[in-house]
Amino acid sequence: MVYGSQFTVHSKKSSENFTVNSKLQTPNQFTSEVVIGIECHVELDTKTKLFCSCSTKGNENPNTRVCPICLGHPGSKPVMNKKAFDYAIKLCMALCCKLDTELIFSRKSYFYPDMSKNYQITQFERPLGVGGHIKTTEKLIKLKRIHLEEDPASITYPGEMYSSNYSLLDYNRAGNPLVEIVTEPDIESPKQAREFLNKLILILSYLKIFDINTCIIKADANVSVKESGYSRVEIKNITGFKELERALVYEVTRQKALIKAGRKIERETRSWDSISKTTKKLRTKETEEDYGYIIDPDLCIVDVTKKLTEDLKKEIPELAHQKVERFIKTYKIDPVDAEVMVSEIELADLFEKVSKKANPALTAKWLRRELLRVLNYNNTTIKNIKFGEKELTELITLVDKKTITESTAQKIMEELIQKPFSPKEYVEKNKLAQLSNQAEIEDFCKQAIKENPKALQDYKNGEEKALQYLIGQVMKLTKGKASPEVVNRMIRGLVDGK
Amino acid sequence: MIDDPEEIFAECKKINEKYNYFTEVGQGAGDSNKGMLNGLYITVKDNICVKALDATASSKILKGYMPEFNATAIQRLLNQGATVIGKTVCDEFGFGSFNTNVGLDFKIPKNPVDVTRVTGGSSGGAAGITALANFRHVAIAESTGGSIECPAAFCGVVGFCPTYGLVSRYGLIDYANSLDKIGIMSKKVDEMIPVFNAMIGQTICSDSTVVDQRPKEFKPRKLKVGIIKESLKGMDSHVEKEITRTINALKKIANVEEVNLPFTFKYGIPTYYLIATSEASTNLAKLCGMRYGIQGDVEQKTFNEYFTEIRSANFGEEAKRRIMLGTFARMSGYRDAYYIKATKVRTLIIQEYKKLFQKYDVLISPTMPIVAPKFEEVKKLTPIQNYMMDILTVGPNLAGIPHASIPIHKSGLPVGLMAMTEHLEENKLFHFLKLVEEL
Amino acid sequence: MVEINKELIEKVAKLSNLKLTEEETKKFEKDFKEILNAFKVLDEVDVSKVESSFRPFEERNHLREDIVRESLKDPLAQIKNKENNFFKAPRTV
Repeated sequence: MVYGSQFTVHSKKSSENFTVNSKLQTPNQFTSEVVIGIECHVELDTKTKLFCSCSTKGNENPNTRVCPICLGHPGSKPVMNKKAFDYAIKLCMALCCKLDTELIFSRKSYFYPDMSKNYQITQFERPLGVGGHIKTTEKLIKLKRIHLEEDPASITYPGEMYSSNYSLLDYNRAGNPLVEIVTEPDIESPKQAREFLNKLILILSYLKIFDINTCIIKADANVSVKESGYSRVEIKNITGFKELERALVYEVTRQKALIKAGRKIERETRSWDSISKTTKKLRTKETEEDYGYIIDPDLCIVDVTKKLTEDLKKEIPELAHQKVERFIKTYKIDPVDAEVMVSEIELADLFEKVSKKANPALTAKWLRRELLRVLNYNNTTIKNIKFGEKELTELITLVDKKTITESTAQKIMEELIQKPFSPKEYVEKNKLAQLSNQAEIEDFCKQAIKENPKALQDYKNGEEKALQYLIGQVMKLTKGKASPEVVNRMIRGLVDGK
Repeated sequence: MIDDPEEIFAECKKINEKYNYFTEVGQGAGDSNKGMLNGLYITVKDNICVKALDATASSKILKGYMPEFNATAIQRLLNQGATVIGKTVCDEFGFGSFNTNVGLDFKIPKNPVDVTRVTGGSSGGAAGITALANFRHVAIAESTGGSIECPAAFCGVVGFCPTYGLVSRYGLIDYANSLDKIGIMSKKVDEMIPVFNAMIGQTICSDSTVVDQRPKEFKPRKLKVGIIKESLKGMDSHVEKEITRTINALKKIANVEEVNLPFTFKYGIPTYYLIATSEASTNLAKLCGMRYGIQGDVEQKTFNEYFTEIRSANFGEEAKRRIMLGTFARMSGYRDAYYIKATKVRTLIIQEYKKLFQKYDVLISPTMPIVAPKFEEVKKLTPIQNYMMDILTVGPNLAGIPHASIPIHKSGLPVGLMAMTEHLEENKLFHFLKLVEEL
Repeated sequence: MVEINKELIEKVAKLSNLKLTEEETKKFEKDFKEILNAFKVLDEVDVSKVESSFRPFEERNHLREDIVRESLKDPLAQIKNKENNFFKAPRTV
């Protein structure tokens, strides 16, 4: 991956069909400490591969989902998967790219055991989408291009890669549909890169074209630092957004250290090793690979018609960043809560349904704090819960009206995860309603003070912790049904009054 | 004419011993359906896949490759009751005009009329067996730049190539994807028409290579024929004699005029070879001793070492030359001047044909300017001289128009007349060919 | 005009994954010179207003529905280099 130079090398004199308008940023234009460009490969969630009808999922035994086409048997010919085409168009639209009017594929020739034809069918001259952007909290990350291509096979080794005498090939993955997304060198920190990838994954899951449980997202990154005059290094083989941040932090640190030690940054390709958590040199970048691109004459041209894009646009749901804006505006909730609400589309839907009847700000806080806590603790996800807006609406209304304490509500949430029930009925049945009788609470406070003279003394001496202890004792006595704030006030009143 | 299958197989083996037309005599995994092609025996050029028979494209690197599927065109014929009797030899991957560029360890076929001469290529085996078969037979062959019409002319049979895309290429081992067409050879025009109609139409599986249209209907009428002036230069005396006689006879039954095709004649060869070799070099990249065909010892070496070893040892010289030429033509720095340029010149060539077809029904020329040369003569040719031999055939192949060679000689060595029509006008072409047949 | 020399032939051979003998390299250098010289006529054609033809006769929009079909039952049947249903291949490094 390079900053646009591939286009200028190949298409200086080409007709307009072959030039892609890509703003070539020279190192002179950079000003930030760190400059990062990312190239991600996203596996689309289709049933079949990009050019053949083999299943993309299922039997994990090697070479069980292969056919003459994905094995590249002489005589076989590729045929384009309509679903992958639709998905890619939707993604381009969601990322605000400019769509090409035609779908045209190229052959990228290079020899490697994981390439069953020793060329990859990809889109070089005519990417499906150009331009576009993804919004992160700090800035808008500009995209260069988006295109479709086929995945190579997976290589493993009988032992360690460097010491094995041969390699082992499984072509199950060969031919899987990938979308490649390339950013401009717009990202200014590893943290920003992580957020970028996160936001991309969010868009992909909202569009329902990517299943985070079964599909893979891989990234290559170009990294350079100001100190070196932005001499860039390519890092390959990064899987997932956590590894991306780790790899980038490591590489930036490595480069800065080299400069400090008076050494130069060589233009090279390095590989991220997630086990040793380091980047290792793969090869130097002096010789650019010559891929000898031609248009693939086995695939016919497909028109990207206005009708198709209009139909597909209707299928695009409100996206996460649009929801955030609407939630803040309509429901007047905290922006941080809003960002969390949209992190999963099921959560966003749940929030809205509950907010129809219950207090939205409180709903957002509760879903964010309590629901997610309980889901994490039980190692499950929102997709698996058996209760819904009915139970949550009841629960949050009970909290809002101060019918129950927060502590009681937390316990009810923990129970709901196990099996659904009506919180309202549960509270009535088990007499869990908050203690609202002030006299009763005062009696309990007096009892706690009486039973814990040392704590009382410590509190009088200025130890706040003793007060907390006393409050805790009252909570025990009331079985959690008293409001901690009320008890706090009351004890202070009793003690200070005394 | 013999019609017993056992006898037919035996006859083929006998012919093969003398003439080397087959890479394999055998039936493959065929369906024995009842249909309108029952009793018809077909030979299949060895770059077209037939299940359970090797498909080598006459190359050593594919020895042992047994496809898991029948080519769609073949499957359609089997569905109608045809029987495959063997695979015919060709130039390695189709790289040649004389069928002398067979792969390592393959035998060169000999002309059925004179064994000291070549059959023509690249479908030499197909043309030869078509000429000699004494049983109900058509040959299924393939043309990229003239590989059907040239051997048809040299061997004295009819060789027909349909509109590009009308017959599915699924199952055809690629030479050049934008030029390859599956076609038919037979002794008489009538024999190939039902075979052609059975091969086209609704596809068996999803297919990007096929044009899902039918040839146009043709109501017989007097035809306007254009004889391509540039093609009449440089003929040898025997060819000239036969061509002149045929044109004069044609003038009695059709409106015959001279037409010009200067652009195609000047730029056709480089355009063809640059596009064909560019595509071929990517198609042949997959042949590296993995996944099928010839396999070596993979341990203790890197993949580049292994691939290079297998490829260098198992490709013939012409295959190597075309791979290199094609790789060069699409290299960065040369790609615009060679590969891209050629694809644009191709547009102009197609336009030149289309303009003529606005006025003329059929265009004609000699198929080859010479009769089948002797083996020693061919050996003396340099590569570029070899390529220039395709001067009369690359045009219709680049344009993807239907065309055919029909024998016109009354005596002596075979001579072919080539006829071309617009896209999807096969029925008009067949009508014209039958007229010529009766002259 | 491109310079055809031993270096170029060797570069092309490497890209094609072919190992040529001294003799072959010399021969191909000669062939390239002759062939490309003959092809030089293309330089005189003005294609500034011309679009490429990647197929001579085209039909568009052949797409396949996303429906799973049976895969090969025994893809390694003709394979000599195999291990535990993997294809065995040479080293990558």
